[in-house]
Amino acid sequence: MSKPKVAVSWNSSCGGCDESIVDLEEKILDVAEAVEFVLWPCAMDFKYEQIEALPDEDITVSLINGAIQNTDQEHVVKLLRRKSKIVIAFGSCACYGGVPSLLNLKNLDDSFRVSYTNSPTVINEQGTVPSADSEDDGHALSLPSVYKSVRKLDDVIDVDYFLPGCPPTASMIASALTALLEGKLPERKSVLASNKSLCSSCSRNDSKPETVSIKNLVRIHEVKADPGLCFLAQGIICMGPATRDGCDYPCIKGNMPCTGCLGPFDRTDQGAKMTGTLGGLLEAGDEEAAKKMADGIVDPAGTFYRYSVAASLLGGKREGEENE
Amino acid sequence: MENSTDNKSEKTILFLCKCGTNIAGSIDFDRIKKWVKSYGGIDIIATGNLLCSPKEKEKFSQILRTKKPDQVIIAACTPKLHEKTFQELAEKEGVNPGRIRFANIREQCAWVVKDREKATEKAIHLIRAAIRRSRFSEDLFRKTMKVNTDILIIGGGIAGIQAARALARSGRKVYLVEREISIGGFLIKCEEVAPNMECAPCMLSPLLAEIRDSASIEVFAPAMVEEVVGFFGNFKARIRQRARYVENTCMACEECFEVCPVSVTSKYHHNLGNRKAVYTLFAGSVPGAAAIDRNACLHFKDGSCDACVAACPYQSINFEQEDSVKEVEVGAVIVATGFSSPDLSAYPELGYGAVENVLSTGDFERLASTNGPTEGEIKLKSGETPGSAVVIHCAGSLMQEGLPYCSTTCCTAALKVGELLRKQNSEARVVNIHGDLVFNKPGEQKFFEKQKEEGTIFIRSQDLKAIKITTADSGKILVEGKDFDRIESDMVVLASGMKPAKGTGALSELLNLSLDDLGYIVYDHEVLQQTRSSLDGIYLAGCALMTCNASTAVTQSVSASGDIMSRLVPGNEIELEMMTAVIDPELCSGCKLCISVCPFKAIVYNKEKKVSEVMEAICRGCGTCSAACPNGASTARNFTNHQILAEIGGLLK
Repeated sequence: MSKPKVAVSWNSSCGGCDESIVDLEEKILDVAEAVEFVLWPCAMDFKYEQIEALPDEDITVSLINGAIQNTDQEHVVKLLRRKSKIVIAFGSCACYGGVPSLLNLKNLDDSFRVSYTNSPTVINEQGTVPSADSEDDGHALSLPSVYKSVRKLDDVIDVDYFLPGCPPTASMIASALTALLEGKLPERKSVLASNKSLCSSCSRNDSKPETVSIKNLVRIHEVKADPGLCFLAQGIICMGPATRDGCDYPCIKGNMPCTGCLGPFDRTDQGAKMTGTLGGLLEAGDEEAAKKMADGIVDPAGTFYRYSVAASLLGGKREGEENE
Repeated sequence: MENSTDNKSEKTILFLCKCGTNIAGSIDFDRIKKWVKSYGGIDIIATGNLLCSPKEKEKFSQILRTKKPDQVIIAACTPKLHEKTFQELAEKEGVNPGRIRFANIREQCAWVVKDREKATEKAIHLIRAAIRRSRFSEDLFRKTMKVNTDILIIGGGIAGIQAARALARSGRKVYLVEREISIGGFLIKCEEVAPNMECAPCMLSPLLAEIRDSASIEVFAPAMVEEVVGFFGNFKARIRQRARYVENTCMACEECFEVCPVSVTSKYHHNLGNRKAVYTLFAGSVPGAAAIDRNACLHFKDGSCDACVAACPYQSINFEQEDSVKEVEVGAVIVATGFSSPDLSAYPELGYGAVENVLSTGDFERLASTNGPTEGEIKLKSGETPGSAVVIHCAGSLMQEGLPYCSTTCCTAALKVGELLRKQNSEARVVNIHGDLVFNKPGEQKFFEKQKEEGTIFIRSQDLKAIKITTADSGKILVEGKDFDRIESDMVVLASGMKPAKGTGALSELLNLSLDDLGYIVYDHEVLQQTRSSLDGIYLAGCALMTCNASTAVTQSVSASGDIMSRLVPGNEIELEMMTAVIDPELCSGCKLCISVCPFKAIVYNKEKKVSEVMEAICRGCGTCSAACPNGASTARNFTNHQILAEIGGLLK
């Protein structure tokens, strides 16, 4: 019997998801033993022609990470969709848009300006920005064109399962792959993480007082955080209450608050939920004090929607967006 | 979001009410009907001229009876006015109240949008929102419970005592919680009550005895209320009874007082006398047992003394006694926490605490009282009977940083100085220096005339702020000010006003009541319901309500008791909120944040299951926890996300 075929592919992402597969350590050898990798651009050399040559649904599973931001990415994921039995949106960029989808809160020109001209490490006297078609030395060049908004994977193709995390931890990957190989995956369209919040397993939950009331919001670097006490009880924003459980809270073990990488629960908006929760906990005497506290939240979008703009009520799409 | 449960087999009726010309005058009904037909989703449109009239209500019922709809939308006035009316009518016809949806096209539309075109347009938006939302309707279920007729009274002064007696007589169980070691409040500290100069202890002792002997009154002293949750007819309260270190087998024989080597100044005596570390406040106090002052007792300090243990013939001393906590269920709460006195030493010009023999009216009452530090002899520090006294009205009131109001009781109290002093020294010279004189009733005015006749000199000063009290060269007290010549006197009595009791702020937080700008708990209505607080079921009486004298305090507390008895009738049922919050235990992560935001303390954390749970009998359905729940485990019945998003969707398009 031939081994199950596995493809790993990346889009707008940092490479952390691929790294996390490598983090399986010696287990990766078992995986490599059990499956046949047919594509893994980050780790091995393959050609897309080889994928195109495969019969449809020949690949058992495609693990696709990264958000979708250009025509090339869209082309590849559609190809993989056709060739795969199961597609797993791998990591929070694929599941919810991730950090790249914060771009949706700015327009594309602004993003290009920051990346290609204004960034302090960039020297670009001509002010060149990427464009689909250009000419150089009499040669016509064409590049993938960049979309106005960043989309999550299931905005582009049909996705069977979602494995969130930035990146998904090695143990999450191992149990997902084990379930897959043993044919024990849950209902299609499931998120392969708990639908309860991080608090449900967090060792600090018992330290949370009966009534949490925050009189003073502080940021993690401004104080010496008590390693045993719930961050919210210390006035530090922790996204744990609005974030799926399943990561085994490595950040909190390292005395850093949860930033929300496992994303929102079914049918909820992570940032809206957390702002709603926090609004109830802030103890401001009057409107002015409340405003001052709210102003103390530096970068609200990055705090509450760091991983989930494309999956939020804020909209995964910009006004005037045409690429559908 | 709106994955519609739009079941075509469901029948929806839309009632359009013209409300006379109220709605029809501003809105084009033909256009609305045309729009509804084109929009779909409505099976029957029924138009009424005045849907809430008896005739049309009958028609409403009849349509429901014959058509048996699954959803009913009523485009009419605000749901605040008639939602309940139509829910009840519908229920009789077998339509669940959760299936009645109002579109407010009067207050939010016809009355505020002048332009007919725009008003009609807005009405369409509102109706569309109601239609969209009605697709996600859920059944609601009525719940009732028997009212609890027991009462919690906070404060054991004269107001609390009289309320307790009245309620106990009507067969109610009363929990009376007092902060001090025995009940009696301020009144027990006075000798005689103006204007009739009746003996206060004589007046109180039979009342105290009645409370002591009543099987339906449970006294907690010293104690405090730690938590109150619930609503009218259904409160749960937690009372912390502080340790007395003396068991109630104590007969207050006072044997232990004799042997106790510790003597400390007594706050009960206004620091004008001492008591032992084991003590009672006065003979015949209720509870009858003595108590040990843990901070003064040598046993607790260094274990060096247990003289009282040996002296006690009843083995009542128990150093191991601990605080105990009792949870009680009551139908109403009376707050009768009394008053506190302003700190007169905050006004250095008045010499209080600095110049010897300068007293407050409260201090003076203690000196004049037979259960006081001098057993009723009005004495100077030196032990002599004063030959003269000056009484300053409005001390600490209407002064810089003072109380910004007249306490209305201090003028009469100030008259007592002359009355009581002359009883002990008929030659005593008494001068009252006052601004406005405030008397509440003819009896008080008459008392004033009597004092004038009997020799008290009244001097009106236009500027009480200018008064300065120092020690004269003669060693007497020197009183200087405007509009009068300097006076030398043996004693000065400062007639101070009343402030809310200490801890009123914390208590108001505990009870979810707000305070006014003077620090008093806000009451419900100036004329009609002064003894009700803003929260139904929590009553106010005496100085907890507003500065007043003892007779008013009693009138208020008995009035509150009567109100309670008329409303908490044994056997009556109260209807519980239908639209409570529900927490899905499958989703709840036990983060407990809903507990922090619930204003009614209706959520508890189940430590075993590690989930938060709503106490349905306490929940008022405000929805705060549903908004705050970070993972969507808490839902407000009939205000689900699906319903709200559908409604918003309908409003927008």
